Amino acid sequence: MIKKEVLKNVVFDTIKKGSCCIPKDVREAFNSAIANEKTQKAKEGFGNTLKSLDLSIERMNPACPDTGWPLFFLKVGNEAKIEGGFMALEEIARNMVAKATKEGYLRATMKHPLTGYDPGTNVGMNIPHFTYKFVPGNDIEISYAAKGGGSECFGGTRYKMIAFADGLAGIKKFVIDAYAAAARAGAICPPAVLGVGIGGTGNIASALAKEAACLRLVGSHHPEEMMSQIEKDLYDSINSLGIGPMGSGGDTSVFSVNVEYAYTHIAGIAVALSSNCWIARRATTRVYSDGRTEELDNPNWFDGR
Amino acid sequence: MATYYLNVPLMDEDVVQLKIGDLVYLSGPAFTCRSRLQRYIFDEKNKLPFSTEQRNLLIHVGPIIVRENNDWRLVSFTPTSSIRFEKWGAKSVKEWGLKAIVGKTTMGEETAQAMKEHKCVHLSPQSVSPNLWLDSIKIEDVYLFDELGTIEAAWHLQLDKFGPFVVDIDCEGNNYFEGIDTIVEANKKQAYKDLNIPADFKYTKLY
Ligand code: SF4
Repeated sequence: MIKKEVLKNVVFDTIKKGSCCIPKDVREAFNSAIANEKTQKAKEGFGNTLKSLDLSIERMNPACPDTGWPLFFLKVGNEAKIEGGFMALEEIARNMVAKATKEGYLRATMKHPLTGYDPGTNVGMNIPHFTYKFVPGNDIEISYAAKGGGSECFGGTRYKMIAFADGLAGIKKFVIDAYAAAARAGAICPPAVLGVGIGGTGNIASALAKEAACLRLVGSHHPEEMMSQIEKDLYDSINSLGIGPMGSGGDTSVFSVNVEYAYTHIAGIAVALSSNCWIARRATTRVYSDGRTEELDNPNWFDGR
Repeated sequence: MATYYLNVPLMDEDVVQLKIGDLVYLSGPAFTCRSRLQRYIFDEKNKLPFSTEQRNLLIHVGPIIVRENNDWRLVSFTPTSSIRFEKWGAKSVKEWGLKAIVGKTTMGEETAQAMKEHKCVHLSPQSVSPNLWLDSIKIEDVYLFDELGTIEAAWHLQLDKFGPFVVDIDCEGNNYFEGIDTIVEANKKQAYKDLNIPADFKYTKLY
């Protein structure tokens, strides 16, 4: 049985780390970009951002004042038991989001969509949001993603239904066109970690894209050859565009293209993209049934990637 | 491409010399604003409770600021997207007498036109580096805190070599990102070929 006291600490620390400390694979992506960029200006764009990100880890302050939508992704062991059940876990998560906001680890960013009312806690109708996945075992893995507003609001996240007749060419064209438009003038804070969802209903494709953008490691590959080839082709093509850091020109235009798919209806193919901004914040902690905890670099949300 | 260190209040001659692609650092007084302030002033017809004459630099930002020991502590600061405020851009330039606006994503035609008429520039960050900026910003005061809340209130700042920012709209109405657009569009043609997307590809219209 996992105790509430343990969960409180784990959830709070995971939020804090998620907001303040960029993951190792993202840090590596910055280093490669600095090495590969040809102009001093582009090198500085990446270099100054990385310097600031490292200072955030040292000072434990938010990597960016836009601390984003609070999203929880939970990998739950089929036999896992929690004191008070999963509703208690969700209540703890809401309280810890509010506490992290009060203490300045998150900015009060979530508002009522129509009245603009700001509770000052980042907690409101359907927010924070929870996504569950069930796996064998009795542990739980808690991932927190701080999903930036820029990368969500300016066309970096959207979907389209495509006819079978338009196939792969239609899918690739939608992704490259939408991404280039969204990255214009740095709107989505590029280079992004780009998640692409293919198939399923519109919302299944969108959820896969979001999870691929927020939870898969930069540079990871889909295990199926056909999908990893699409990832590679889109990655190379987008990186030939010249978008650069904050859209101000350069050789690095996307950090990673992560594709996931679902079977679809004979009527059409949903294609969704979700861009996570270049600071791609997330943190994952595993809680064992005996209360031990372990920080993980890889959320391993999709088996093995 | 040149680098400039400018002091606020900015004069016409400070900003007309700037060309798109130049880098700028700023020192002196500035104020912050997001959409609720502009809606409050321009749509709801309230009066701006301070003068912008000596403070003609506007920064689009939603900072994190906490109250500690009777003082304000700046926790994080990164310019936010200006294009969302396009509706009030031209009005702000004209009525507040702005000489520079700092923000992401550049602005639209109407604001660029007002910038040309009233001699004002738009400046964009090329990094997201709040920790490098924190040391160059001091909080002086805050207005409309109760009405608009901590993120949307008008914070008065004192800057010390705050930058670098790239000039993306100059006083002649040129836009730096239009140059990047041309490059991206040209590269896209080759990318379509590499991705086996036919040049005459058209989507089947499903809706
Ligand atoms: S989208 Fe941009 S402004 Fe928002 S969190 Fe990401 S880097 Fe920060």
